[in-house]
Amino acid sequence: MHIDRLGPLASRLNRRQFLTRAGWTGLGATALVAGSGRARVAAQTASPYPDWIPASTKPPKRGGVLTRASSWDPPVIDPRLTQSVGLYQFAGLVGSRLIRYAFPDEVSGPAELSLKGDLAESWQSTSDARVWTFKLRQGVKWHNLPPLNGREFVAADVKYCFEAYAKEGAQSFTFQEIEGIETPDKYTVRIHLKTPNVLFPQNVAEPITVLFSREVLEEDGDLKKRMIGTGPYTLKEHTRKVRVVLARNPDYFDKGRPYVDEYIILSTPDAATRMAAFRTAQSDIIWLASPSEVETVRKTNANAAVQSYHNTLTPFGVALAQDRPPFNDVRVRRAVSMAIDRQKQADTVFEGHGIIGWGVPYIYYTDKQPTLAQLGPWWQYRPAEAKKLLAEAGHPNGFETTLFYYEYFPQMTSQVQLVQQDLKRNLNINVKITKLDYTTYYGRYVESKWDGMSWGFQSGHAIGLDERTYQYMHSRSTKNFFRVNDPVIDELTTKLRQTPDRAEQRVVTKKIVDREFDQVLRMWMPYDNGFMVFQPHVRNAAAGALRRTDGYGSSTISRVWLDK
Amino acid sequence: MLAVPVLLLSSLIVFGLMRVMPGDALTALMGESGNIGERELAKIRHDLRLDLPYYQQYLLWLWQMVSLRPGDSIFTGEPISVSLAKALPVTLELAALAMVLGLVIAVPIGVLSATRQDTPSDYVGRVVAVSGLSLPDFWLGTLVITFAAIWFHWIPAIGYVSFWESPVRNLQQFLLPAAVLGYRLAAATMRMTRSTVLEVLREDYVRTAWAKGLEGRIVVYKHALKNALIPVVTIVGGQLGVLLAGTFVVETIFALPGMGRLTVEAILFRDYPVVQTNVMLVAGTLVALNLFVDLTYAWLDPRIRYQ
Amino acid sequence: MATVTARTADFEAEPTTDISRTRALWTTIRRKPLGAASATLIAVLVLTAIFADVLAPYDPLAAQPEIRLAPPSWEHPFGTDDIGRDVFSRVIYGCRISLWVGLLAVGIGTIVGMIIGLLCGYCEGRTDLVLQRVMDGIQAIPGLVLALAIVSVLRPSTTNAMIAIAMVIIPGNSRIVRGAVLSAKQNRYVEAAQAIGCRHPRIILSHILPNVTAPILVIASIWLGNAILIEATLSFLGVGTQPPTPSWGLMLSSTGRAFMEQAPWLALFPGLAISLAVLGFNLFGDTLRDAWDPKLRRG
Repeated sequence: MHIDRLGPLASRLNRRQFLTRAGWTGLGATALVAGSGRARVAAQTASPYPDWIPASTKPPKRGGVLTRASSWDPPVIDPRLTQSVGLYQFAGLVGSRLIRYAFPDEVSGPAELSLKGDLAESWQSTSDARVWTFKLRQGVKWHNLPPLNGREFVAADVKYCFEAYAKEGAQSFTFQEIEGIETPDKYTVRIHLKTPNVLFPQNVAEPITVLFSREVLEEDGDLKKRMIGTGPYTLKEHTRKVRVVLARNPDYFDKGRPYVDEYIILSTPDAATRMAAFRTAQSDIIWLASPSEVETVRKTNANAAVQSYHNTLTPFGVALAQDRPPFNDVRVRRAVSMAIDRQKQADTVFEGHGIIGWGVPYIYYTDKQPTLAQLGPWWQYRPAEAKKLLAEAGHPNGFETTLFYYEYFPQMTSQVQLVQQDLKRNLNINVKITKLDYTTYYGRYVESKWDGMSWGFQSGHAIGLDERTYQYMHSRSTKNFFRVNDPVIDELTTKLRQTPDRAEQRVVTKKIVDREFDQVLRMWMPYDNGFMVFQPHVRNAAAGALRRTDGYGSSTISRVWLDK
Repeated sequence: MLAVPVLLLSSLIVFGLMRVMPGDALTALMGESGNIGERELAKIRHDLRLDLPYYQQYLLWLWQMVSLRPGDSIFTGEPISVSLAKALPVTLELAALAMVLGLVIAVPIGVLSATRQDTPSDYVGRVVAVSGLSLPDFWLGTLVITFAAIWFHWIPAIGYVSFWESPVRNLQQFLLPAAVLGYRLAAATMRMTRSTVLEVLREDYVRTAWAKGLEGRIVVYKHALKNALIPVVTIVGGQLGVLLAGTFVVETIFALPGMGRLTVEAILFRDYPVVQTNVMLVAGTLVALNLFVDLTYAWLDPRIRYQ
Repeated sequence: MATVTARTADFEAEPTTDISRTRALWTTIRRKPLGAASATLIAVLVLTAIFADVLAPYDPLAAQPEIRLAPPSWEHPFGTDDIGRDVFSRVIYGCRISLWVGLLAVGIGTIVGMIIGLLCGYCEGRTDLVLQRVMDGIQAIPGLVLALAIVSVLRPSTTNAMIAIAMVIIPGNSRIVRGAVLSAKQNRYVEAAQAIGCRHPRIILSHILPNVTAPILVIASIWLGNAILIEATLSFLGVGTQPPTPSWGLMLSSTGRAFMEQAPWLALFPGLAISLAVLGFNLFGDTLRDAWDPKLRRG
């Protein structure tokens, strides 16, 4: 089965991809070497596939065309207007950012989170983390296309771009913490923040902060018609609902790269068709959800390279209307959580290749992936206790409630139905399921006025710690769709933003997570990890270091080469 | 002519339905944008004139239709005339090929089935035809593309190219989807052909011709077929309408950027102008088609005069 | 008086009574093998739907995820689905759901269409003009688009899918009924009935309706199959019946397609069921027409 079976909507709506392109294995090289038993939560069969495909040791060859059948089609190519993965599956190749995460061939395992300079050579902050200074690379040129015609990239471009982002549009949220930007000289940018934020560089490294030019915006009035940047590829063709073609930028500042001449993205909304495209070598990269799917592909493509992919978080969980009865009672929440057999879901629906579920990437507070036992008492499957607790809370005979969702992928429907059955059998809670179309679901969910339950998500492309804690859990944050309203959480997440010391950050983060689990503020659900599958001749495309090659992590394609 | 009030009515119905649907285009936009504040939403809503009272929005859109300037898509900002100009040829080509394939198979089999009524070949023909009507096209399409890849290691090249760019590649891309679409058309047409031929074969003038001793085949082809074709033409006209409207599934599976995808995706995103314009286009085409069929009807059978 | 009454009695003795029609149908079924086959098939489907509780070995909603995606076996003749439910039981219950959807959709569509058609045909004049234009207006909108729009407006559910499908059917039906009414009105006994002052409802009921029901039933039987298919497509779009309802359309379009290679039985059996049901209804419609079409009977 394929993740992108959103039927007709796959092209735009695959939020799952949208959310999970951060791939990460917590095991990393250390665990493998130490053989210390992969501390995995689910009773997983040891996957025969490696967690990491190291960079090839052979000298890279230049040339060739990389093709990918994609479920996403960009709604617009204006980065101010959308965060859709349809755009960012290639925007990071046409444009650049100041900072980026490390590429697979710069690290020895997927477990490395280091930031590297893209357009910025170095950066530092004042001791209070309120003023950040970036030193830009010199000699970087915009694409040699009108109206820029290859002029040099300078600090004023950064100021213009960030201010434009902050003013209006989809990225304004990210840039609103900026108070002011100075450009003391051509290659220095100094950013003043409204409040201290040690995690600011992570925000700058997000894929949505690609830099666009003043000239195009001023000439066209918007960025919908032309996309010009400083990246390794130029946008050669964009035919809506058909294909996107990127061609190598001959003036790219990283001499010698990119290796591949052209990257073609084919809009292919149907999952079965994408699979067929991979099988017939029309597509070089594909993401698959489960071990059995991988087996199916390998029957026809025995030489395909498979990377077992691991997530550091799950984007989906049961969201409860916890600002009103019955779910405002923590005992009810705990009872519901204990009545759901998560392990079984991970073992069956995800064939053992899934994670039990947590919202904050564990890498921020611990080294090893948490086991189910470590997630606290309310995460264990204890139906008898759950029933007692629910009775204590005043519902000995259960109650009626509703659950609405949008089927991002088929396993979600399986999970929803299993949850329905668990709650009915164990607590006599009758859940009426409503499967909605995307627009209706999304609108209702983010309006945050719904009653009952929803299969909710934490949105956003970001994997930064700030995003995952403050933005999603603070009671006054507009992204708090789970309707968390806990003073302890508010206090801790605010404190986290002011904690520069790494070790201390981990401690605070752990406290946040513990509180979240204890109060069952967000009921995370199992989620699978999936597999990246490549044609045998593709090199250096491994998904790792927080980004998946085919989605938001597309900038990694500048390092890919084809061994043909 | 009477066509105008009909079209107006259709447009009203579609307009009304779209507006009553929960969620709006901005919700979908928001989803893709991750996060837009209330202020920005209000501004976008105002820019797109979605905050006007409904009847004003309707009249505005009507004026755009009449002056042939359909405006822009809410979701992508692309001018609708541009997207239509790109999508229409795809669907037309698909429908045309499907019709050709379908008719080429259906009419001979229908005639055969009728002339050999109640023999095994009739039964087989009818069962095969009805099975064509009972397989959902999304299922057939998925089956075809999955097993083409597995058994033949070949699927049509993904990434639509127009006929003028590369005729070979284009036909290659359209062959399978047209076959899937055409299969259903063939089933319906075959049954209709069979039943009208059956009826005609019982007509007095046909039996007279037989009685006169003319060779069976000549009787059938000269006298019966021409008259049998009248209802078939009606059916084909109707089927063309169904085809035009029903290409969505096949377009999705075979990655063709046609009208079906454009319209259905627009509905799901609540992209009002696109839906309204597309539906009006199809409705208008259907009405025009009906007219054309009526005229052909009159031409084929001199006994009927267009009133 | 007496003579007039006697004469109308003659006219009223036209062979349009139910008894002779049923007999005609029975004869046709006996004579034509496909007719017999389709009638049997329909009988089987109806019986399965009615006795689903008895026939299904398992609860169609009982999930046993440990045995998910199991191939057909003795315990589970049609295998198990993505959360371990017995597919055989689900297909049996699906019969009930799909027939119910079909019957209701076509029932509503037929009855409403008939009423409108009767009104149009009988009253003619302005009523006819206005109603027909409204029907044309609805019919000009592509069927799938209309159904999708209606279901999106009302929340997605089985009932609302039925209503949407019914709306798609109504215009076509009304036109057929209207045509039949118009031709029935030409009959002399209708004129006579009007001449002697029969009230309209009686005229409609005794003289016009019988002539109309034949074509309606034929079309309805064919629409039954279509209704099931439209529901399947609506499920494909994600707005049809709701999980965990075991409707064939939902089974085919969601898990059937998603697991097509790993577990083809998930699509095979609901697909076969749909095909058989549509086949049965269509062939039965042919048989009805063969039995009742006056033109064919003459032969």
